[in-house]
Amino acid sequence: MATFKEVSPNAPAGTKLLNWIDNRFPLTPIWEGAWGKYYAPKNFNFWYIFGILATVVLVIQIVTGIFLTMHYKPDAASAFASVEYIMRDVPWGSIIRYMHSTGASMFFVVVYLHMYRGLIYGSYRKPRELTWMFGCAIFLALMAEAFMGYLLPWGQMSYWGAQVIVNLFSAIPVIGPDLSLLIRGDYVVGDATLNRFFAFHVIAVPLVLLGLIAAHLIALHETGSNNPDGIEVKKNLGPDGHPVDSIPSHPYYTVHDIFGVSLFLIVFAAIVFFAPEMGGYFLEYNNFIPADPLKTPLHISPAWYFAPTYSMLRSVTSEMMYVLIACVLAAGAFAGFKSKLPKPFKLAAMGVALAVAAAMMAIDAKFWGVVVMGGAIVILFFLPWLDNCEVKSIRYRPDWHKYMYAIFVLVFIMLGYLGMQAPSPLFERLSQFGTLFYFGFFLLMPWWSTIGKCKPVPDRVTFKAH
Amino acid sequence: MSSTLTTPPMGGDSSVDNSKRTWLIASSCAGAVGAGFVAVPFVSSFSPSERAKAAGAAVEVDISTLKPGEKVTVEWRGKPVWIVRRTPEQLAALKGLAPQLADPDSKRNPDTYTPTYARNEARSIKPEVFVAVGICTHLGCSPSDKFTAGPQPSLPDDWQGGFFCPCHGSTFDMAGRVYKNKPAPDNLEVPPHMYLSDNRLIIGEDKKA
Amino acid sequence: MKKTLLNLFVSSCVALGLSSGALAASVGIAWDKAPINLSDNASLQNGAKLFVNYCLNCHSAAYMRYNRMTDIGLTPTQIKENLLFAADKVGDTMQASINPKQAKDLFGAAPPDLSVIARSRAGAGGSGADYLYTYLRSYYRDDTTTTGWNNLAFPSVAMPHVLWELQGERKPVFEEKQDHGHAVKTFTGKWEQVTKGSMTPAAFDQSVGDLVNFLQWMGEPGQAKRTSLGWYVLAFLAMLSFFTWRLSKAYWKDVK
Repeated sequence: MATFKEVSPNAPAGTKLLNWIDNRFPLTPIWEGAWGKYYAPKNFNFWYIFGILATVVLVIQIVTGIFLTMHYKPDAASAFASVEYIMRDVPWGSIIRYMHSTGASMFFVVVYLHMYRGLIYGSYRKPRELTWMFGCAIFLALMAEAFMGYLLPWGQMSYWGAQVIVNLFSAIPVIGPDLSLLIRGDYVVGDATLNRFFAFHVIAVPLVLLGLIAAHLIALHETGSNNPDGIEVKKNLGPDGHPVDSIPSHPYYTVHDIFGVSLFLIVFAAIVFFAPEMGGYFLEYNNFIPADPLKTPLHISPAWYFAPTYSMLRSVTSEMMYVLIACVLAAGAFAGFKSKLPKPFKLAAMGVALAVAAAMMAIDAKFWGVVVMGGAIVILFFLPWLDNCEVKSIRYRPDWHKYMYAIFVLVFIMLGYLGMQAPSPLFERLSQFGTLFYFGFFLLMPWWSTIGKCKPVPDRVTFKAH
Repeated sequence: MSSTLTTPPMGGDSSVDNSKRTWLIASSCAGAVGAGFVAVPFVSSFSPSERAKAAGAAVEVDISTLKPGEKVTVEWRGKPVWIVRRTPEQLAALKGLAPQLADPDSKRNPDTYTPTYARNEARSIKPEVFVAVGICTHLGCSPSDKFTAGPQPSLPDDWQGGFFCPCHGSTFDMAGRVYKNKPAPDNLEVPPHMYLSDNRLIIGEDKKA
Repeated sequence: MKKTLLNLFVSSCVALGLSSGALAASVGIAWDKAPINLSDNASLQNGAKLFVNYCLNCHSAAYMRYNRMTDIGLTPTQIKENLLFAADKVGDTMQASINPKQAKDLFGAAPPDLSVIARSRAGAGGSGADYLYTYLRSYYRDDTTTTGWNNLAFPSVAMPHVLWELQGERKPVFEEKQDHGHAVKTFTGKWEQVTKGSMTPAAFDQSVGDLVNFLQWMGEPGQAKRTSLGWYVLAFLAMLSFFTWRLSKAYWKDVK
């Protein structure tokens, strides 16, 4: 328990007030621990703004969301009309709505870039594995939040997108159809589904998100931040006990990040005021048609941020299954004959591979498509244990790793593009290739990350005064 | 080992401190102004929407079939508005009531309850036609008609006709003026209204608007 | 050379139409560019007049209030006297005259609400306004359909040619082209005027342009205000960014 501090009666009113509070509530320690005296490496670059931006977008979504909830009606008969009511009859309603729809897409832009930063600088490596894993959980929660929010306008895309995704669960053997029924609350997506998705979107998932974000930041503060050089700055402490290469977040990152946020707001405002539809990517054209359970639009595609995983789902055809079965058997063979595991594990691994291969032959490709889609996100959780490279940051990795990451990004973007297109034989092959590359990138990383000669990592961070 | 931070010593290198101060002030002011601008749409979204305003639009009433002694009720902004064609006897009775009334000249809160064209003895534009919001100024119940003069339950023996609110017993005369010693503090509200023609009234709009 | 270019143009139009139609309805033709000008109040007012006279009988615009038309330069009195057939008050929403159930029985499909029609019909072929502009001008007589009309932009559409008196009857000119060994009937882009309408083709195109301009405006009546406000917002944010940039620099001078 901290001692009760007295201040001089001549002290200014502000100091006295703060002292009164600090004697009863750890306000200053919280401020200093969370930000004020949180020492962070001084060499943060452009890639390090996206964490703050994600927080800013979260606040934007919550505030605009609260105001939208004042006018929106979560009822299948009035939902679409209530959105147009907001757009036309509520004072400034259209701007609030556009901020929310733009914010939803920008959330994913920011989060994808934030994850990319983690990838290239090895921010997921020991001792920051938990920070990374909480982050992956946030990503999952965000996808759920976006998916459920998208049903609320009750347009054609809302309805059919929800119908398709909920039906994915019915692909699970044995429990699938009942699970889908439970999620929907009815035999097809309907009013029951809308009401519960509203409850989840407005309060349940946001609470989960807030909890996960708190955990994410607490874990980060426990280990300290990584930096573009991947150097552990805590190895080099100064006489004041802080790393020599670190600076207090306040005032340096306060002012730095406020500038970054101002620039982001320019982009955000440009979209809200000049291009809120973003060519049909942020606000889909088909969603201006009220939901019609009897008529599916000719061309449904998921929201752009789901497109990469969606194309992986679509790529799992019966032909693809052969390739995947071969991969599973090869993995089993490798584990059994080439790995250095103790004998019982080797046998277990081979057994599992055979069982999985048998299951893959017995159950339809439809189910495995769902597995692949889910697996694409789940695999991210394991990244800290897949990367065996000596160095953390891309800066000191063998040059050819840079090409590997570049191709990964291009493949991911290609998968995203393909996910938005109508299917075709060529596109199917490309997305199959992309899926295999995506999984190969991660699953073979224990091996390829060790190939090549790393550059020597300096003791001190590279920093140019500015 | 070079130090990362070179904070200038106290009192020295004031140009750096000056530039920090300048830009702090500039950014804070711009930020405050920006925050104000951002607050406007959100706070404004609380005000009545176009739908609410349309629902609250003025109501036209045709009183050509309204006989003396009769009352018709219309809804305006969710409230009942009474239009009473008063008889000459009812109008005559208004004069002598002043001593019994709490606010005979409608001097209390005139801007809320009595528009300028109703600041007369009959509290109306045309003496025969009385227009008032049928909501008791005490706590919001709608008073009942008691147009017949003479003794009746809950009313004094010299009752000249008017309105009686069943919730807490407030009484009003045929010009909506509240009697003394009753829970209601004010006379009945006369809403904005005007005549489009001899027999057509519009409730919710008046010449001022 | 000219013919090859024309063929190339036509087949690419067909291909474009094939891909663009995907979002609109089914396979159709290439879309013409709609003459949109949201600051042209005269055009928007004319469009409003056409809308109320020709469209509101069957189609509602249930999210649009009559009094919003004060934004395009009309006074409430003008709206009341000239446009208020299907409603009593100027603050009412634009409901259709027909009973929706009757309409569905009559036409086979319920006439869709038109409040956001221009926003919903965009596709690969162009904007929603482009589609509507093309659609309203691509009707032709077809005895095989229930209404006796068909439409190149929306084949087998259930809606008849409401504006036929203004445009008159036209016939699309097709030609036979060879595609992968067999003959394909392709639209040349030309029309034959079979009977005259009350308007010349140019005047009709202008009127439809006005109507589509109105539909575009009605899809989001606040769009002009939104973009003009946007300039001020961006200017303010640019100034704020400049201040915060200098602020950041002022502190980071200390970091070596």
